[in-house]
Amino acid sequence: MGGSEERVVAVIMVGGPTKGTRFRPLSLNIPKPLFPLAGQPMVHHPISACKRIPNLAQIYLVGFYEEREFALYVSAISNELRVPVRYLREDKPHGSAGGLYNFRDLIMEDNPAHIFLLNCDVCCSFPLPEMLEAHKRYGGIGTLLVIKVSVESASQFGELVADPVTKELLHYTEKPETFVSDLINCGVYVFTPEIFTAIQGVSSQLKDRANLRRVSSFEALQSATRSFPSDFVRLDQDILSPLAGKKQLYTYETRDFWEQIKTPGNVAGTIVLSDSSLSLANETAMKQIGPNVSISANARIGPGARLISCIILDDVEVMENGVVINAIVGWKSSIGKWSRVQAEGAYNAKLGITILGEAVTVEDEVVVVNSIVLPHKTLNVSVQEEIIL
Amino acid sequence: MKALILVGGFGTRLRPLTLSVPKPLVDFANKPMILHQIEALKAIGVTEVVLAINYQPEVMLNFLKEFEAKLGIKITCSQETEPLGTAGPLALARDKLVDKSGEPFFVLNSDVISEYPLKEMIAFHKSHGGEASIMVTKVDEPSKYGVVVMDEATGHVDKFVEKPKIFVGNKINAGIYLLNPSVLDRIQLRPTSIEKEVFPKIAADKKLFAMVLPGFWMDIGQPRDYITGLRLYLESLRKKSSTKLATGSHIVGNVLVDETATIGEGCLIGPDVAIGPGCVVEAGVRLSRCTVMRGVRIKKHACISSSIIGWHSTVGQWARVENMTILGEDVHVCDEIYSNGGVVLPHKEIKSSILKPEIVM
Repeated sequence: MGGSEERVVAVIMVGGPTKGTRFRPLSLNIPKPLFPLAGQPMVHHPISACKRIPNLAQIYLVGFYEEREFALYVSAISNELRVPVRYLREDKPHGSAGGLYNFRDLIMEDNPAHIFLLNCDVCCSFPLPEMLEAHKRYGGIGTLLVIKVSVESASQFGELVADPVTKELLHYTEKPETFVSDLINCGVYVFTPEIFTAIQGVSSQLKDRANLRRVSSFEALQSATRSFPSDFVRLDQDILSPLAGKKQLYTYETRDFWEQIKTPGNVAGTIVLSDSSLSLANETAMKQIGPNVSISANARIGPGARLISCIILDDVEVMENGVVINAIVGWKSSIGKWSRVQAEGAYNAKLGITILGEAVTVEDEVVVVNSIVLPHKTLNVSVQEEIIL
Repeated sequence: MKALILVGGFGTRLRPLTLSVPKPLVDFANKPMILHQIEALKAIGVTEVVLAINYQPEVMLNFLKEFEAKLGIKITCSQETEPLGTAGPLALARDKLVDKSGEPFFVLNSDVISEYPLKEMIAFHKSHGGEASIMVTKVDEPSKYGVVVMDEATGHVDKFVEKPKIFVGNKINAGIYLLNPSVLDRIQLRPTSIEKEVFPKIAADKKLFAMVLPGFWMDIGQPRDYITGLRLYLESLRKKSSTKLATGSHIVGNVLVDETATIGEGCLIGPDVAIGPGCVVEAGVRLSRCTVMRGVRIKKHACISSSIIGWHSTVGQWARVENMTILGEDVHVCDEIYSNGGVVLPHKEIKSSILKPEIVM
């Protein structure tokens, strides 16, 4: 039902320059959330999904990038979608729950009854209104979006067990070594404001433990894993895991597609033909494009060029008879005549797709295979299986 | 008197350090690279330095304001909108380099460190009365560079041979020039190479002279040469009996330690080490042939050799870091980790050992 009092606020976690390093070299020039995915900055997709939520009061982007990196985008998208979007900068990373807690006063300003939390690098159908309805029915403090994946890939994510009837979250574990479940956490959540109390509880527990650590020198020797500061609270491990099985958290399953964009390889795996910005006004019968090619505005593709399964970003020039297969070609780069930029196309391997950073020049007839090239390099000799700094 | 420093572009060979700051601001022996040159120019009476840049001018300009005041020398930028090669920037900066005085001006390459015997170079230039003087330096493997073929007796330069296949001489262009303003008339405002297009013409007119650089010389534009360069630089400090070098029972060979850095008990530091401002070296640490940049913490019992540790990084307890490991800014090597030649980009945490040279993005 949702009366006019039941306002909703959405928070999208965007991270910062020290996070998402797996997205390099593309993230050396642009924050990962602003990297174009299917013709729009990555974060555009969760933002426009939020717009479908009834009674949405505000969207907050929370991260620790510099404000100026998001200033332009945020005002543009607010105007375009007619929904208030604001970027909130953390002074330092607080973890996914810590970040939410850090801005609780601002978030609660609109007195929302429900708060959505989304990760900016999730690509899915975002069934947010349906998820909200389910959440209200369950009456818990939070509901997670979950999806079934293959048994082999499940261990890369947070695996969880849910009651098949009540949909209650019974058990949660992050990246387990042994099989727990093929149901995983999508990185989309909806909470009631009670979540802040839960985070505060955990945060003070962590503080106490940190104080103890300082006293015990034996603890100090146990530096097997990195010790977080006490105000670094992770949503999954620190909040969800302990609350599982206590009738507080529930799940909503989606059967549509779901992908998480951690590496450029993930982007290549989800590319679509970007019809809106495709301008092949000068195409001749000789140009062969596709399948699975995304070309940005202002890219120039010369005659006789062949592109397969690749992403060509803004202002790129692919000269005559150039070949690009399983690659991402960065902004302003240039692919020379008869040169070849290719990879095997193993989207999850380290050098599985070839990535050229911003303004990379591949000279005529040069071959680049299974490599990553950082921005502003000129390749005048062929390379294979290399990272070029 | 004026000078131009060719700063150029992206410094990709010094990545990952140059992913955080433009190359001229990368510290060498606890000082931004370009400051070594600016100080040498100031010492012989240069009043204005022009930096020819084509990348990140805002960062450079901020840095300059700070040093203009401190050093009492005028520093300006000449920004290329397209790369102009090694001679084009001189034409671009023409108005800043020539004045009524008709005095010659210096041109330095920002990647080079040496003793900068600029006073001797001025005397040399006056004595031969030619149009241009260049410094050359003797190297063991001339065919890696461009060789300057010259008459050793008169100093006349005959020609330049790029990466010669047979032995034609062992003197290479050291990247330090003293030029009369008339040289600018020979340079057009377009991408031009000073070695390939400008100098050969002056040499043909018998107006180009070369002076053999006394003392050390190094192009520190890449990590291996940076580390060798530090050794040469510290050696030259030793020869001058510099008080800047550290002393103490825990010091071996030539070591530079910033006064704001702290070193714990039981360490052995050196040879050829530079420790930057605000660094904390905990007890029992061994450092040799390495550079530790500003704000780095080296934890107890760690051992580092032949490496560069970037700003604000940490090296964990009992970690071993060696063989041309380059850590970018804010890299954290966990306790007990071994890095054999890891090249690590900024903002990374190293939780597992790097057994053979590898780039960590």
